[in-house]
Amino acid sequence: MCRDMPPLELAIQFHGHICPGLLMGVRASEFAIQHLQLERDRDEELLAVVETNSCGVDAIQSILGCTFGKGNLIFKDYGKAVYTIASRDKGKAIRIAQKFNANRNPLFNRYRELNIKDHLTPEEKTEQENLLGQVFESIMTAPFEDIFEWHEIEFDFPEKAEIRKTLQCSVCGEGVMDARAVTTEPGVVCPTCYIDQGGE
Amino acid sequence: MCEANVYINRNGKEELLMEKVDRMIPGDENNIFMESIFGERRVIQARIKEMQLVHHRIILEEIKTAAEFQEQEIWLTLDTEHGHFHDGEEIRLNLFNGYNMKVNQDHVFSHPQVSMLQHGQTRECPVQINEGIVEVNLGEEADGLMQVYAHESGDKELYAKIFLEVGHHHHHGVEPVGLPLEIIPSNYQHARMGENYEIQVLKNGLPLAGAKVKSTYAGTSNHDYPHHLVTDEDGKTSLFLTARGNYLFSVADGEIISTFTLTKSF
Repeated sequence: MCRDMPPLELAIQFHGHICPGLLMGVRASEFAIQHLQLERDRDEELLAVVETNSCGVDAIQSILGCTFGKGNLIFKDYGKAVYTIASRDKGKAIRIAQKFNANRNPLFNRYRELNIKDHLTPEEKTEQENLLGQVFESIMTAPFEDIFEWHEIEFDFPEKAEIRKTLQCSVCGEGVMDARAVTTEPGVVCPTCYIDQGGE
Repeated sequence: MCEANVYINRNGKEELLMEKVDRMIPGDENNIFMESIFGERRVIQARIKEMQLVHHRIILEEIKTAAEFQEQEIWLTLDTEHGHFHDGEEIRLNLFNGYNMKVNQDHVFSHPQVSMLQHGQTRECPVQINEGIVEVNLGEEADGLMQVYAHESGDKELYAKIFLEVGHHHHHGVEPVGLPLEIIPSNYQHARMGENYEIQVLKNGLPLAGAKVKSTYAGTSNHDYPHHLVTDEDGKTSLFLTARGNYLFSVADGEIISTFTLTKSF
């Protein structure tokens, strides 16, 4: 039982709190697992392309194991709650897009209104707690098709993340991946020092 | 003129509490001591809501304690952070009195009885009362799935029950312990957030239809129970679990109040 932490708990523990965005990511991740018959990624068998850097991505990282550190989480800064999950083993990919109206109703609106306030009265804190419970239930019990659109897509799998050499910056002395280092007249420099010296 | 009038907000209405107050000292447990220039003194359980210094007004907000609630109940919790015990661990539980999982620290327990049921065998558990909390220590030998239940007689007959699991993966059927009013989970399982949890209310061992069951969770900021359920013809009702902490289900019938603590575990 200690090893059997459910996906939802994993996501909350990783993210630090419960919020509607995270729960949307939990639903998307669980659907991908079910639809593509996936297991949590160990070493880049899965790949996620996420078009947002908001809460839902933490569910993708914690539940599917597609993480920033492993290099199998590709971030496209489009500001869209869209997740493409691909499996190398199955040769399949699924694009999951949150519907525009998925979280547009008075319940969500009031929750959002309270959430952005700097100070909440004790009554508002209670209201927020109760609203989160209702939002939680509505997201987790909604038919998937009501909150997401999805379809399988053709997917060009990139090569697995490459392990590169580390060079020493001739200015600060810190290590830098060779692909990111800049060769200048005095020697190899890291991007930080290159920019500090007026490089672009 | 530096003193202020102190008002208290009760149920949305401001009432003048004391005029020309020149000393206010916050104390323990939300107590505020105040003294006026006339020498009048008072201690009130409240928090400061607003200070309008230009207008010489201080507005307090009343804090309700569990003792002020109309009902008292008892409930059991496991003294562990992750919902179950491992083999060889010291098994400790606590029994509280209060309401809505808010402890009434002023309550004085009188002869609470705590018992344990496992494999059809019942035995009484040794208890120790410490600062208003009943501590139960079952030692390190316990193993498997068991039910611990408590009883305290007072103005009402108060009962509490909890499941206790030692070791991993015990999935036995659930049998009632035989309380006059009892809440049992429909199926013993590891309750999880984001799932429905079904319970059944039994009165003298038979399903109680139409029973009003209240449910709350640890750490709620609600003053009263946030969930109100009614049992169906089989005495069953269910709740979708959205909070991280443990849940408490409470049911009353006549002079009996019975609770069941749902410990979430993974």
